[in-house]
Amino acid sequence: MAAGAGALYRGDVRLAYLSLAPSAVLLLLLSFLPALAVLDLSLRSVETGESSGPFIGIENYLWALATPQFGRALVNSLVWTFGSVALEMVFGVGLALLLDQSFRLRGLARAAILAPYLVPTVVAVLTWRYMFHDIVGVLNWMLLSAGIVSQPVLWLNSPGSAMLAVILVGTWKFFPFVVLAILGILQAIPREQFEAARIDGASAWRRFRVITLPQIMPVFLLSAVLRIIWTFHKFDIIYLLTGGGPLEATTTLPVLVYQQGFVDMELGRAAAVAMITMAVLSCFLVVYFLLLRRSESRQ
Amino acid sequence: MSATTLPPPRRNHELAHLPTLLRRLALYSGVCTVVVIVGFPLFWMVIGSFKMKEELFLYPPSFLPRSWTLANYTELLSQTGFLTYFANSLIVAGGATLLALLFGALGAYSLARFRFRGVAWIARASLLAYMLPEVLLVLPLYVWVVELGLANTLFALIVSNTAFTLPLTLWFLRSYFAAIPASLEESAMIDGCTRMQAFRRVTLPLALPGVISVGVFAFNHSWNEFLFALVFTSSERLKVLPVGLATWIGQDHIYSWGMLLAGAVLITLPVVLFYLLVQQHLISGMSSGGVKGE
Repeated sequence: MAAGAGALYRGDVRLAYLSLAPSAVLLLLLSFLPALAVLDLSLRSVETGESSGPFIGIENYLWALATPQFGRALVNSLVWTFGSVALEMVFGVGLALLLDQSFRLRGLARAAILAPYLVPTVVAVLTWRYMFHDIVGVLNWMLLSAGIVSQPVLWLNSPGSAMLAVILVGTWKFFPFVVLAILGILQAIPREQFEAARIDGASAWRRFRVITLPQIMPVFLLSAVLRIIWTFHKFDIIYLLTGGGPLEATTTLPVLVYQQGFVDMELGRAAAVAMITMAVLSCFLVVYFLLLRRSESRQ
Repeated sequence: MSATTLPPPRRNHELAHLPTLLRRLALYSGVCTVVVIVGFPLFWMVIGSFKMKEELFLYPPSFLPRSWTLANYTELLSQTGFLTYFANSLIVAGGATLLALLFGALGAYSLARFRFRGVAWIARASLLAYMLPEVLLVLPLYVWVVELGLANTLFALIVSNTAFTLPLTLWFLRSYFAAIPASLEESAMIDGCTRMQAFRRVTLPLALPGVISVGVFAFNHSWNEFLFALVFTSSERLKVLPVGLATWIGQDHIYSWGMLLAGAVLITLPVVLFYLLVQQHLISGMSSGGVKGE
């Protein structure tokens, strides 16, 4: 950025503001004013379809804290988020280390592993719903014929397994993000470091711990926090897989917001749940911005 | 798995001394296993879309179609609104991408090149905007869309998708422009270009790969977007692909699965084409700061 401070650049402040203005206005109108408007909605009794309603203070928040739906949704959100992200990180790092090796057709293997991340969510959901089918689904056929289960698993149709099924699909869809992030860093580590360590007699494990691990750590943390943020407020994949059911077993906070706002038509209550969701998310956002600043200052 | 079952570090040490051939074998079989497991759902989708209706629900399932058929595709295209959904999706994703690139490129240039009050602040704000939950924004945006009489229009979808494509563009292109030396523009300006000419003729062409990459990410995001489309549009004529297909999933008729899988394959095609286009920029884009890519 220091390059931008050249003499020719100082007179153009008006131009700078002008070219930034449309973006700034759109950011304000589409992101930051809506965020304030949600706060306002959450303090009113508004039905969906109306533009506003009487001010009722924190009553919507009190409703949320009192209803068992909310508590369950919060727990579901945490299970969904940390369950998926933990699996994504484990598989993501493992596969990045595998793909970092050199072998024939590596490009092809990489493309195959990236594929789930690129397919549209609705496609992933469709395919998995077809595979999850209780009676004729290929997953149950595999598990039954391998003798792993004796009864067909009611993947999306029983409260016990629905969350597991949703986490499975989420992990499959999003672990490639971690692979990409970690692989990008792995490939930037100079090979000479490994050679030197090998000559000094360091074991593979030691080389990993002393050379690889410290270098991938910042990216590992950043991508874990990013995944937590995005998984926590993910709506479409769960809604399309289960609609939040069965028996609310997979109703996470975003699904609850949708149900309150557009099924029960209680916009004020939906806004209160959305604000609480945002409050939890803010904790993760703070961590993300701190990590980001640290990694930027290191560069 | 308890800590005691983890292999002791010594084993890795031994692994390093195994004959090379054995290690290669382990590597290749590992890669193959992973590719088969990860790729299976997509294989199953593509294969399923070419199966006859009866065969889709055969038990035990047949792995390759006994007779390949295009019936699912022809039925999808002739008997459903799929082509309308496809066109709507193109309009929405194209519109949101163009808007974001047009305003975002200008804004990002300004953020990268000028030093004025609030530059760092606006850059952070755009990253924050990108992180806001859709489910939060949808509530007030719905109120405004209804008030402005924009409910049930594709225009509302284009603009609301910009809430994510624009911050993405700003954040991504800012670092891209910053990496292009300002001295190139300065020499063009010494040679008589105005600043805008220098931007258009020197910097923008150099940044083209970045512009294309972020365009693809933005397109992909809007192509996938589900919640705004679900809430802001209701008529059959204005459905975009994810909402159109989701309605069919909900109906869950056994006989519609063939068409659904065919639809899934067709929606994925543009994404695959775009991927091939930006393949080499993908990794650097992802690691340079938060591209969701979905």
